[in-house]
Amino acid sequence: MTEMQVESSAVKRWLSGLASGNRRWIQGSVAAGTLAGVATIVQMIFLARIVHLGVIEKASAAVLAPLFAGLVLAIVSRAVAQGIQTHLAARCSEQVRRTARRQIHRHWRNSGPLVLGQTSAGSLAREWIDHVDALHGYFSRFLPQMTLSLIVPLMILALVFYLDWLAGIFLLLSAPLIPLFMALVGMGAEKLNQQHFEIISRLSGQFLDKVRGLTTLQLFGQTDSAAELIQQRSDHYRRITLKTLRVAFLSSAVLEFFASVAIAVIAIYIGFGLLGYITYGPSSDLTLFSGLLILLLAPEFFQPLRTLSQYYHDRAAALGAGAEILARLGDKPAPNPLAGGNEDTVDYRPSVSNQVTRRELIELNSVSLTLRADHPILSDVSLTIGKGEVIALTGPSGSGKSTLLHLLAGFLTPDNGDIGLFGKQAGSFAFGWLGQSGFLVHGTWADNLRLTSPDVSDVAIETALRNVGLGPLLDSREEGIFSKVSEDGQGLSGGQARRLSLARIFVADYDVILLDEPTAGLDSDSEIFVLEALHKLALAGKTLIFCTHHHALLVLANRVLLVSGGEVTDV
Amino acid sequence: MSELKPWLKLIYARPGRLLIGALLMLAALLSGLGLLALSGWFITETALVGLLLAASLPATINLYVPGGGIRFFAVSRTVSRYLERLYNHDTVLRLLTDIRVALFRKLASADRGRRRELTGAQWLSRLTNDVDALDTLYLRLIAPAALAAFVTLLIMVLAAVLFDSVIAIGIALILGVAFLLATLAVYLRTAKITSRQSDQQESLRTAVIEHLEGFAELTAAGRTGKHGAWLLRQAHQSSSGQVKADSRVGWHQAGSNLLINLAAVFALWSGFALFRSGVISGPVLVLLPIALLGLAEAYGMLPEAFGKLGATQASAARLNRDCREDDSRVAAEIIALPEGGALIANDLTVKYPENAPLFTHFDLQIKTGERVGILGHSGSGKSSLADVFSGLLIPSGGACASVPCAYLTQKTVLFEDTLRANLLLGSPDATEAELWRILEMVDLAERFRSEVDQLDTWLGSSGSRLSGGEARRVALARVLMSPAPLLILDEPFTGVDKVTRERITRQIDAWLEGRTVISLAHGPDALPCTDRVIHLGV
Repeated sequence: MTEMQVESSAVKRWLSGLASGNRRWIQGSVAAGTLAGVATIVQMIFLARIVHLGVIEKASAAVLAPLFAGLVLAIVSRAVAQGIQTHLAARCSEQVRRTARRQIHRHWRNSGPLVLGQTSAGSLAREWIDHVDALHGYFSRFLPQMTLSLIVPLMILALVFYLDWLAGIFLLLSAPLIPLFMALVGMGAEKLNQQHFEIISRLSGQFLDKVRGLTTLQLFGQTDSAAELIQQRSDHYRRITLKTLRVAFLSSAVLEFFASVAIAVIAIYIGFGLLGYITYGPSSDLTLFSGLLILLLAPEFFQPLRTLSQYYHDRAAALGAGAEILARLGDKPAPNPLAGGNEDTVDYRPSVSNQVTRRELIELNSVSLTLRADHPILSDVSLTIGKGEVIALTGPSGSGKSTLLHLLAGFLTPDNGDIGLFGKQAGSFAFGWLGQSGFLVHGTWADNLRLTSPDVSDVAIETALRNVGLGPLLDSREEGIFSKVSEDGQGLSGGQARRLSLARIFVADYDVILLDEPTAGLDSDSEIFVLEALHKLALAGKTLIFCTHHHALLVLANRVLLVSGGEVTDV
Repeated sequence: MSELKPWLKLIYARPGRLLIGALLMLAALLSGLGLLALSGWFITETALVGLLLAASLPATINLYVPGGGIRFFAVSRTVSRYLERLYNHDTVLRLLTDIRVALFRKLASADRGRRRELTGAQWLSRLTNDVDALDTLYLRLIAPAALAAFVTLLIMVLAAVLFDSVIAIGIALILGVAFLLATLAVYLRTAKITSRQSDQQESLRTAVIEHLEGFAELTAAGRTGKHGAWLLRQAHQSSSGQVKADSRVGWHQAGSNLLINLAAVFALWSGFALFRSGVISGPVLVLLPIALLGLAEAYGMLPEAFGKLGATQASAARLNRDCREDDSRVAAEIIALPEGGALIANDLTVKYPENAPLFTHFDLQIKTGERVGILGHSGSGKSSLADVFSGLLIPSGGACASVPCAYLTQKTVLFEDTLRANLLLGSPDATEAELWRILEMVDLAERFRSEVDQLDTWLGSSGSRLSGGEARRVALARVLMSPAPLLILDEPFTGVDKVTRERITRQIDAWLEGRTVISLAHGPDALPCTDRVIHLGV
């Protein structure tokens, strides 16, 4: 569903939603920026005043000294305000990114493991890390600058009007052009960005394609010709890109041109006015002070806009990243009883239904589930499993064994019927889960087991690892359970990883343990250890439910259920 | 800084281009400075003349030269900025090509064993980011810094000529501090944070991927919330680092701006003394401070660029590491190929570090023209054996020698290119007819005759426009094309259904006449015709 086109207006809404939660920081940043603008204006006033007094009225150093002090003060305040502005802007982006990450993570939890499993972990991680980071420039640079590029020019315009309305009109004439500039700059920048990103990503795609197949190229002795191909293609794309750039850069050239011309026109107008060549309008009142001040302010009038155009690519980047994030957030989450808490760290919602089933039994009452239309997976299944039973679910592939397991785990909710495990809702309490691929985190053996059971003792960890046959591996490591699971970049084999996951279940003391094909694809060593471990868990009185075809596991079970044609029957 | 050296050498390989680009930047900068400074001079001059005229005193002013100058600068600023952007973007794209090609060649000659761990999507995207960090090094950092320094010197000379040398030295001192504040100081204060940050980012990515891969287990144990909160804290820590670096860059920017403005104030203050003593005129007094104010533009981009230098260095260091040639590689024992032999393996041991040996004391002799099948279940070390035969993998013990070979690896690797380009890798000089013939042999000729582009059909990224079985057969065809006397085929029929498999086996039988073939598979029905079969690991 990520391919789904997300409207850019929706992305903008989402971005402003993120901003509204952090308005404080943005406002602070804009206020500091405005202050810097005011300080700049004051600085220019002092500067023009000093020049006027010194040059025209030949004032002495003693007269000028306090003005110089004021000038330095204005300059210092301007610098301080600028520093504060960037600091607040950076803080704003930090907060926004935290909010966005929290939103995405909440969505992950609402979606549940089954939906998440459909997308590669790599691309989900990229969204959570890189796409969210792409929002940085938008919130720390573009957004405050957007407001500032309105406020600061208006302040300057007002002052220039006060000084000389004709000069003000020169600036104002370009003012209606400003929205036009912005549109032009925007269009240009957007097109430029699109083109640029497209070309760059196509080029890196081709480059990476060759790097990925480097071994194959070497086997055929073709690395040189591949390098030449990269060169040729890059050159080709460069020529195409430059053609579009020629046009795209024009829009910012127009902005530059108007700014330069406005300064030139104002300078010449003031010059002629001061000479007394202009006999109409306010120019007869021009002094060196007002003339110089207008000249000094003219570039500051255009500067915020030029800065904004430099930040335009931040906006494009944020819109692109936002669209992808929003497409993900738009995925319809599977109803999941685990999720729904408002606090991110609350892992269980208190069970709303009052004891739907008896305390000592796992019960399914008339459970039906249809995942695709016209293709019921389970229809009206009722089932009772006692505490301590070892249940094997078997049946042809696609018959719904795994679905039944997912229902018991609470990863799916049935269309109809109730599921209760020892009087509680499925998924509303901790249980053991062993998927088809084990999972481990970077860190020590102890870290890996404490991931799901934070409070267990070192001894319990070691015992659990030995219980799944990882003892010899542990003995070969110098620091025992405190050595890294993967050393020298060597990971565990698939079987070892699954045994590690099983050790987590050992250490945690769950009542219910659900296992999806626990021996599928294992080497014979691992298989023996897994079987032994499951046997130990069964002896310890745990309720084990697993789907399997494996003969040894069917033997281990004290009850085998056949899942077929939407029904579940005892074998 | 030494990590940047190889890349800087690449960048500097185009000195003419860099110089022209820098001169265009200089022209844009000087036009901007000139426009403001000349306008300031002009206004002051006209104000003074205006006063004299108003007092009906004789005074003349040449309006054409300054007026023309102002108009010229207004136009030249626009034009040179436009040209500069266009020209320098061209340069960046050229540098991008240079860097990629050089990197590709370096990777090709680098240690293959290292690359084995590094082919994941994660590594590839990191590689792209690292390359991107380098290609703008010149435009963002080197050229602006050089320009800022040059323009500062220019203004110093201007100050010495118009004012006096003492004032020039004073201005130079202030600007020198501003320059250091905007460059070296920013780098020193952010390098650690930014280079640490890219490492943090990598470990965060690993942790997020682990979190997602273990999501079912974590959900079952009721730990997604707690573990997610931990991830959020890690992410926050990394962005806090960025905030810190950003703020520091911001403060340095403000600081260097402050100093530039103070230099202007200093010029004005000390200029007044000269003005009062009649050494300089009013308009000249105004010109220098205004030019100094304009200098802020030259310094403006520096702090941000230098704030990223630490990350760029880290990128360069990582790329250098990826390209490092293997120095620990042990030379394999040399063994001579016997007369009429196609391959000899003597007492081979293959072992990956930290793992038990895959096999030991493996001996094999294959005569020219023989077709040998090697069977073994997955994990028995078949593919490693094939790697040793083809010379991709150096055995940890024993020796192996063979005639030149073509090798179909277990992983199907197709390139994002046309069918033709993919096939020609096997035999660059093959004719169109030969290509069609080989496609017939792997039962794909009909499939591609029906395509509009025929042999020029685009195969998409990693052959994504083909089914797994089709992609496998294209890869097989490519190896069959090769004129090498020895063919090594590792699981040649992955994803190919039984009927097609049997047909292909029949069709290629005659084609392979006289050539030596080693095929490896998990079961006998996945092998093409063989003279003898060896079972591995039983």
